Amino acid sequence: MSIATDVEPSFLESENTLASWLFTKDHKRIALLFFASITFFFFIGGFAATLIRLHLANPEGLLQPAMYNRMFTMHGIVMVWFFLIPSIPTTLGNFFIPMMIGAHDLAFPRVNLGSWYVFNLSGLVLLYALIMGGIDTGWTFYTPLSTNYASGYVFAAAMAVFVNGFSSIMTALNFVVTIHRLRAPGMTWMRLPLFVWGIYAVSLVMLTATPVLAMDTMLLAVERFLGVGMFDPTRGGDPILWQHMFWFYSHPAVYIMILPAMGMVSELITCYARRPIFGYAGMTMAMMAIAIVSFFVWAHHMFVAGISVYSAIVFSLLTFFVAVPSAIKVFNWTVSLHKGVISLDAPMLYALGFVLLFTIGGVTGLMVATLAVDVPVHDTYFVIAHFHYIMVGGTVSAFFGGLHYWWPKMTGRHYPELWARFAAILTFVGFNLTFFPQFILGYLGMPRRYYTYPAEWQPWNLLSSAGASILAVAYVLPLVYLGWSLLYGRRAEGNPWRATGLEWQTPSPPPKHNFETTPVVTTSPYAYNPEDGSYVTQDGTAYA
Amino acid sequence: MKVDAKEAGALPFVIAWLLMVGLVGLSVWTAFLPIGVWSPIIEFTVAAAQTATIFILFMRLKGPPSLKWLAAGTGFFWLLFLYGLSMTDYTTRSSWPS
Amino acid sequence: MPSAAATLKPEIQFATLDQQGETAQLGIWVFLATETLFFGALIFTYYIYRMSYPEQIAHAAKDAVLWCGSVNIGLLLTSSLTMVLAINAAAQGRRRELVFWLVATVALGVIFLGVKGYEYYLDYKDHVVPAANYVEKPGEGPAGEMFWVFYFVATGLHAIHLSTGIGLVLYMLWRVSRGEITPAYYAPLEVVGLYWSFVDVVWLFLYPSIYLVGRS
Repeated sequence: MSIATDVEPSFLESENTLASWLFTKDHKRIALLFFASITFFFFIGGFAATLIRLHLANPEGLLQPAMYNRMFTMHGIVMVWFFLIPSIPTTLGNFFIPMMIGAHDLAFPRVNLGSWYVFNLSGLVLLYALIMGGIDTGWTFYTPLSTNYASGYVFAAAMAVFVNGFSSIMTALNFVVTIHRLRAPGMTWMRLPLFVWGIYAVSLVMLTATPVLAMDTMLLAVERFLGVGMFDPTRGGDPILWQHMFWFYSHPAVYIMILPAMGMVSELITCYARRPIFGYAGMTMAMMAIAIVSFFVWAHHMFVAGISVYSAIVFSLLTFFVAVPSAIKVFNWTVSLHKGVISLDAPMLYALGFVLLFTIGGVTGLMVATLAVDVPVHDTYFVIAHFHYIMVGGTVSAFFGGLHYWWPKMTGRHYPELWARFAAILTFVGFNLTFFPQFILGYLGMPRRYYTYPAEWQPWNLLSSAGASILAVAYVLPLVYLGWSLLYGRRAEGNPWRATGLEWQTPSPPPKHNFETTPVVTTSPYAYNPEDGSYVTQDGTAYA
Repeated sequence: MKVDAKEAGALPFVIAWLLMVGLVGLSVWTAFLPIGVWSPIIEFTVAAAQTATIFILFMRLKGPPSLKWLAAGTGFFWLLFLYGLSMTDYTTRSSWPS
Repeated sequence: MPSAAATLKPEIQFATLDQQGETAQLGIWVFLATETLFFGALIFTYYIYRMSYPEQIAHAAKDAVLWCGSVNIGLLLTSSLTMVLAINAAAQGRRRELVFWLVATVALGVIFLGVKGYEYYLDYKDHVVPAANYVEKPGEGPAGEMFWVFYFVATGLHAIHLSTGIGLVLYMLWRVSRGEITPAYYAPLEVVGLYWSFVDVVWLFLYPSIYLVGRS
C-alpha cells in the first residue's frame, strides 16, 4: 500500500497548544482525555485492591480494621463509578462511534467535553473525601449506616457519585442521539457494527437508570446533612426503600459495565477469526433484551435484606430470564469461531479470555439468583468472585482487547506483539489464581467486608493474594510497553488488521474530521471470507 | 389545526391554556369532596391530561409518531418498572408499615 | 440586519441546519426523559409513604399553603403559553413580539419564585421545616415529618430547575439581541422552550401531591 502524502495532519498534530486539548471539540481528543482520567482512577482503585489483598494474606492482617473498611469502600466506589462504568464508552466509544458510523463527530461535541469536566469534578470531590479520611460504608452506602451512624465523609462521597452521574448522562445522551441521527448514507441499523449496538444499548441503560441513583444519593445526602429524612426506621422510614432505588440503578449498572465489552468482543472475534458473526440479528436483539430486562431484576441483591419472600421469588424468576440473552451471545461467539482462521494476537487472546471468564461469571450468577443458594452465600466471597469474574475477567479483558486492537489506529504505532500476548496470558493466569479461590472461600462461608477470618482459610486467601500480585504485574506491563510504543513502536498503516469497519478506512492516526467526504455504506459488517482471506469493507471495497 | 411554529396562530394555545386552568379548578374542587381514594385518582388523571396537552400541543409532539415521542414516553414508561416491581415487596411484606 | 444570521452554517457533523435543529430537539427530549425519571424517583418515595401512612400524610399536608401552590400553578401554565407564543413569534420573524413574550415568561417565573419564597416563610412560621424548627402536630406522627422533607426537597429542586430555566430564557434574550434567533434557525429557542414546559409539567404533578391531600 503506497504512502499517500496526507494533506491533512492527524488529529494529534493538527494543533499543539494546551488550550487546543483542554477546549477541544474533537471526540478523538476527548477520548484521550478520558483515557488519562480513567487510567488514573484505575490505579487508585488498584492501589486499594493491593492493600486489601496484602492485608488478607494473613488473618492478623496489615491494616487497622477501620482502615480496612475504608479500603474496600474506596476500591468499590472508585472501580465502579470512576473506572468500569466510564471505561469503554468514554474512551473507545468516544473515539470510534463517529468513525464507525461514518460521521465527522458526535452530535454534541461541547456536551462531550463538558462530560469530561464534570467527570473530573466528581473525581476531585471523591478525592477530597478520600484524602480527608474516606468512608467505611462499602460502595453500596446502605442506610441507616451511611445516614446516621457512619463516621467519615459520606456526604462528600455521595455528592461525588451524584455529580458523576451527570457525566454518564451527558455521554449517553450524546451517543443515543448520534447513532440515531448521524449515520452515513447506507448505514442502516442492521449494518451497524455490534460495538455500536453495544454502546447504543448501554447508553439507553445509563439514561434510564442513572437519574434514579441521582435522586437516591441526593436523598441520602439530605438525610446525612440535616439529620432527618426518608430512611430512618426510628422515624417511620424504610431503609429498604433506599436499597430499592439504589439497586434499581446499580443492577442495570452492571450491565452498563458489560454491554460495551460484549460489543467489543464481537469486533475482535470477527476480525481475528476472519469470519462474520454468527447470528448478527440475534446478537443485536440480545443486547437490547439485556438492556431492558436488566431493569426487572434489581431486588436479587436484596434477597436477605428484608423484602418479602414473595417479592424475592418474583425477582429470582426474572433474574433467570435475564441470563438467557447473555447465554445466546456466548453461544454465538463460540460458533463464530467455527471454521474461522484464527490468529492469536493479543486482542484475540483477551477476547477468548473474556468468553471463558464471562461464562464462569454468568453461570455463578445463575447460582446466586437461586434463592436457596443465595441465602447462605450472600455477602460472602462467592458473590465477590462472581462479580469480579464478570467485571474484571469480562469487562477489563474486553477493554484491554479493544485498547490493543485500536491502538494502531489511535496512535499510528504498533504495540510490541510478544509482550502484549505475554501480558494477556499473565492476566488470565493471575486473574484465575486471584478469584477462583474466592468461590471456594465463599462457599466455605467467609463473609465479605470482614477484616479477618479463621486461620484454616488462610491457604485459599494466600493463593488469592499471590494471584493478585501476578495480576498487578499484568496490568502494569501494558502501561510500560504501550508507553514505549508511542515513541519507538513501528508505524502503523491505515488498516493493519485488514478489518472491515469504516474506522479502518482512514489514515492512522485519523485526521481531525475523520473522513474527507462522508462515506457511503453498501456492505454489512464483518464481510470476511475465511476460506480465501478476502474481505469487503463497509464502504464496498473488496480486498483479496 | 397547524402547530408548525412557522404558521401557528395563538388561538389553539390560548384555548388549551384556558382548559388547563379550568382543570386545575376541577382538581381543587375534587380535593374537598369526601370521595376517598377517588380524589387522588381524579387529581392525577387531571395532571396526566394537562401533561399530555402540553406535550402534544405546546411541546409540538403532534404529528406522526416519531423518535421524540419515544423519548418523551420512555421516562414515564420506565417509572412503571420501578413502581410496579417495588409493589411486589410493599404489598406483601408483613413487617411493613412498621 | 446583523451578519450572524446570513452566514450561519451547520457544524461539521451536520449536513444541514435543519438536521442540526432537529437533532438538538431530540437531544433535549432525551434529557427530559432523564428528568422524568429523576423527579419520578422522588415522587416514588412520596407514593410509598402516602400509601403506607395515609392518615399521617393527610394530617401533615393540611398545613401546605393551598393558595400559594394554586397561584403558582396558574403562573406556570401561563408561562408555558407565553413561551410557546415567543417561539411562534421567532419562527415568523416578529422580533418585538418575541422579546415581549420572553420577558413575560421571565416575569412569570420570577413571580413564581417570589410566591414560593413567601410560602417558605409561612412554612417556617408554621413550624413545618424539618431540621430547622419542626414541631410534630397531633395526628401527624413521624411520617408527617417525612412528608415535609419531601415537600422541601421537591419544591426546592423544582425551584432550582425553574431558576435554571429563567437563566436560559435570559440567555435567549441576549442571543435575540445579537440577531442569532431568526426564522432561518431558532432551534436554541425551541430547546429552551421544551425545557421550560417540562419544568411546568413537573409542577403539575407536585401540585396534587402536596396541596390536594387531606382536604376533605
